[in-house]
Amino acid sequence: MKRKTRVLIGKVGLDGHDVGARVVARALADEGMEVIYTGLRHTPEMIVKTAIEEGVDLIGISILSGSHMTFLPEIIQLLKQNHAGEIDLIAGGIIPAEDRPKLKKRGIKEVFFPETPMTQIVTYVKSLLEKKGGWS
Amino acid sequence: MYRGEPFIIRAYSGFGNAEECNPRYKKLLQWGADEIVMAIDLPTQVGYDSDHIMARGEVGKVGVAIDSLKDMEILFDGIPLNSLKRVSMLGNSFGPIALSLFIALGEKQGLRTTEYVIDLQNDILKEYVARGTYIFPIRPSIRVATDVVAYCAHHAPHWYPMTLCVNHMNAAGAGSTKATAFALANGLCYIQHLLDKGFGIDEIAPLLTMFLDERAEFFVAIANFRATRRVWANIMKERFGAKDPRSMALKITAYSHGGETLLEPVNNIARITLAALAYVLGGVQSLYNASYDEVLGVPTEEAAKISVRIQQILAHELGIADTVDPLGGSYFLETLTHRIEEDILENLTKVEDLGGAVEAIEKGYYLGAMSEGAVKRKKEFDKAARVSVGVNRFRTESEVPIGAFRIDSSVESKQIEGLNRLRKERNGRRVGESLQYIREVAKGVENLVPPILEAIRAYATVGEICDTLRDVYGEYQKREYFSSR
Repeated sequence: MKRKTRVLIGKVGLDGHDVGARVVARALADEGMEVIYTGLRHTPEMIVKTAIEEGVDLIGISILSGSHMTFLPEIIQLLKQNHAGEIDLIAGGIIPAEDRPKLKKRGIKEVFFPETPMTQIVTYVKSLLEKKGGWS
Repeated sequence: MYRGEPFIIRAYSGFGNAEECNPRYKKLLQWGADEIVMAIDLPTQVGYDSDHIMARGEVGKVGVAIDSLKDMEILFDGIPLNSLKRVSMLGNSFGPIALSLFIALGEKQGLRTTEYVIDLQNDILKEYVARGTYIFPIRPSIRVATDVVAYCAHHAPHWYPMTLCVNHMNAAGAGSTKATAFALANGLCYIQHLLDKGFGIDEIAPLLTMFLDERAEFFVAIANFRATRRVWANIMKERFGAKDPRSMALKITAYSHGGETLLEPVNNIARITLAALAYVLGGVQSLYNASYDEVLGVPTEEAAKISVRIQQILAHELGIADTVDPLGGSYFLETLTHRIEEDILENLTKVEDLGGAVEAIEKGYYLGAMSEGAVKRKKEFDKAARVSVGVNRFRTESEVPIGAFRIDSSVESKQIEGLNRLRKERNGRRVGESLQYIREVAKGVENLVPPILEAIRAYATVGEICDTLRDVYGEYQKREYFSSR
């Protein structure tokens, strides 16, 4: 039997608002995925370490403090350095639309906003994982 | 309510470093704000100095960076604490530090504690389920927070050392009724802790405030305030045997915000005004408004000014604030108030049946209620059952605007330079001794404020003091697993 898809939802930096992170975690879990939520205040190093430990297929980072341009590219970098470049990274939160193309160029697969419908996030995650060889 | 004068006009403000932020505070005073609520950056809120590894990228971002008393001196340069009706800081995880920073600043400004009023949020319990600026584990944190109330009860009973917060738990999904019950349960936990230390209810209840919140329904907001006042008065009188009317008269603060949108942000002026109107009709004692551009980042000066002006218009132009409980007697509002009062009591009983606030938090009861509510809200929003004009209804193709306010990118390095200078110039021995004094008191049962005040006077940093307490109490952290239901 194929193992269940595992997703890591995390918060980097010090911002403590995790309603969005928890709602997304719940929605993906309801699709049958196993979701690990890191809790607050993680460094990019801690996120990557947990992702590798937990053997996840995807990392979703929620960030509302304005520090996305610092932390997100760093996670991509660390994943590569730790030979875990196959783990995809998506992000959501208060991220100015103008930063979205810049982040995508740096390897972040997709960026979602507070008003993005949940179905759109779920559909995107499923299609992303399907491309990687299916999910269950 | 209990009105001799209009509500206190608060302004929540802070960004960058103290030097940059000082002119904004002076402007707020010029515009006529009664109270400045310092917005402090996240490293400060969770007890890290600006040069801590975790502070990287966050210094001065969501509030002003405060490493030590030095920053307070610069921030309030030319602003004596008694030029405001009250001064405030959130400081939820380190109430004694927040209090001490103001007391030591007052001393520097040559003021007696009777000449100014400090107002703190200092409500740690809600941080474990919403907002998230906790540092220590739950139980020692309750002691840290209640020591501030105990200190003020003895030394400055005209201050407001604790605000029981509904706002953040409602925002996190609880809904206003449940969030009110949770905030009351948190309050009961603090009160019990203080009664156990030997305080009488009338020594502490008058010092407490509640931060109420309802952002989705105009009339529910008014009814919630009325209902909560009743619940509070009854609990104080019947459960605790309060005799002083000031113990029974709940003091309410509120923040007009919640429905603001990123698209067409100028419409937020209407949303904020209407939220503020509900709170004024509900009988708020002190009020602050979000700025219409706050969804885009730190408010511009123009937007901050409009926020103060909205409050002044409500307070002075139309007679809205002249009558106590102007809508009392309306059958709709009385019915709503009655129903909400019953629902608050029912939800409070549920928490008490679990063993009270701490147990309810540890068993995941608060978080469960919030997650459920947040999922429901998101679904309602996605199918436009919860209308947001210009976003999920009546949407036109408009560009997402870009925040106009920019924080100087050199803030972090400047702040760290200042911190290094401070560490060289201050009396290192006095700092070391004061930290040792904190460590001893933290291990015992004496009040934490005196040793922390001594350390603040010696220019010990927020990070140094919190590290000392971390050594004694440890840190709070947890990982959660979600699986399909």
